[in-house]
Amino acid sequence: MKKRNMSIGFAVPAFVIYTILLVVPILMAFYFSLNKWNGFNPMQFIGIENYINVFKDARLGNAVVNTTVISVVVVIAVNVLGLFLAMLVNTASAKSNIFRTVFFIPFVLSTVAISFVWKSILSYNGVLNGILISLGQSDLIGNWLGKQGPAIICIILVEIWRTLGYHMMLYLAALQTVPHELYEACTVDGGNRWNKFRNVTLPLIIPGMSVSFLMSIINELRMYDVVKIMTDGGPGYDTETIVYNIVSQGFSNSMVGYSSAISVVLFLAIGAISIFIVTMMNKKEVEM
Amino acid sequence: MKGKNRVVSIIQTIFLIVLALIVVLPIYIAVSNTFKLSDIILDQPLSLPIPPTIQNIVSVLKSPNTNMIEMYKNSIILMVAGTLLTVVVSSMAAYYLARIKSKLSGFLRIYFLIGIMVPYVIVYLPLCILLRNLSIPFGVPILIFVFVSGNISFATFMYTNYIHSLPIELEEAAEIDGASKFQVFWQILFPLLRPCTTTIAIFVGLGIWNDFQTPLLLGQVKTITVGIYTAVGPYSANWGVVFAYVFFAAMPVIVVYLLAQKNFVNGLTAGALKG
Repeated sequence: MKKRNMSIGFAVPAFVIYTILLVVPILMAFYFSLNKWNGFNPMQFIGIENYINVFKDARLGNAVVNTTVISVVVVIAVNVLGLFLAMLVNTASAKSNIFRTVFFIPFVLSTVAISFVWKSILSYNGVLNGILISLGQSDLIGNWLGKQGPAIICIILVEIWRTLGYHMMLYLAALQTVPHELYEACTVDGGNRWNKFRNVTLPLIIPGMSVSFLMSIINELRMYDVVKIMTDGGPGYDTETIVYNIVSQGFSNSMVGYSSAISVVLFLAIGAISIFIVTMMNKKEVEM
Repeated sequence: MKGKNRVVSIIQTIFLIVLALIVVLPIYIAVSNTFKLSDIILDQPLSLPIPPTIQNIVSVLKSPNTNMIEMYKNSIILMVAGTLLTVVVSSMAAYYLARIKSKLSGFLRIYFLIGIMVPYVIVYLPLCILLRNLSIPFGVPILIFVFVSGNISFATFMYTNYIHSLPIELEEAAEIDGASKFQVFWQILFPLLRPCTTTIAIFVGLGIWNDFQTPLLLGQVKTITVGIYTAVGPYSANWGVVFAYVFFAAMPVIVVYLLAQKNFVNGLTAGALKG
């Protein structure tokens, strides 16, 4: 008994910091979301009205569409390309090592720094248009970040560029758990490259794949930095993401209650998606 | 058959080289143009900086709204203190979670795990209001604890799994010899956790160094990232100066990454793989 009392002391510092600075604010957000409040005037309890508005808000709707489009494209691209790259560099040569090192660099840099670099390239008075002009192709120059469509495509490309190496590394770690004997057995049975991939590699990397999918989805749903710096949500609200919208409603427009309601919905959505992916992948693992 | 494999292998290598060039090109543009005058950047963005000029770097260092030393100081204090504190409190908590079997420790394990799923944006506004009501000033000290609170979930989870994989006999033997729990933890167990600590320190330290949203929204604390953002402003197009700022933010990370590449990759992927 004495032993146990002494041990709980080890968990107390972490418990206190975590509870006060993370758990309490989350509970506060749940509470704020049921009120109309600008952060200063007295709070006014309005029940689920904020949540009803969440589903009627056209500006937020646009942010949800943007976030969904960005997420779907980036998640598919980095997972397909990431696996493909991982298979190409899954050899123990110096050449592979160099490629791995290079592909991973963007992921260690701060998103602020790389967003500024990409902004300098893609801006109207930026490097890309400068190159086009100096090549005599001035009719090809475009306002890449100034219109919704091209700007979203730019954001997608930057996100793929930034996270591809990370997902390659996740797949590489998964590939290295596949025992060599299985490939040999497949060759003996007359299997070709595709058979090996479909019947040996794929089933065995399902756990790694679910991690990679989950990380990319969560990453993209939380997207903020790149948009904040490259387009600042503009033009207008055209390139806002969900997190950008939450910050803007909460901090710039002082709609504490409403922005809390959006973040609670996002929290629950991410939780649901995570649980869905983990259970789905577990099932697949058993089937295969 | 041999010949066909060779062709495939050459195509693969060409593909990898092209992709590597795409990955490196923006970094090359940023670094080489840091040392060029702004007016030739747009004309010759891809040329080498010959002769190199340090005018952009100088103008950043002399700029009245930039205190590069203060920015570095804040970022380094946050990174070092935040990482150390995360390592200390999380490893201690994990010791309890991994070695004590009770309802309370089972509950705490789940309690600490919830934080992994939280989109951190939910926290900023309530946290600002909480700090305001408690009259705690925004600044580096409280930000250290905020970063720790955000990393406890991940670090505790990693440590708990790692301690599980270690045999308990060593700790028991030390206790029989009369060592206190505190001594057992710090003198016997903690040194054994070193691989795990390296992973966590890189993940947490790099995360803090590169974080933008947290210092921006919690009091605009002038870290490297926020400092650059406020100094450049969202609409500047003086690219030479922008590149010089980026250079200051990214150079330390690139150098450390190239020196301790393996640890970086482990640190940033192991967390995901075990989670």
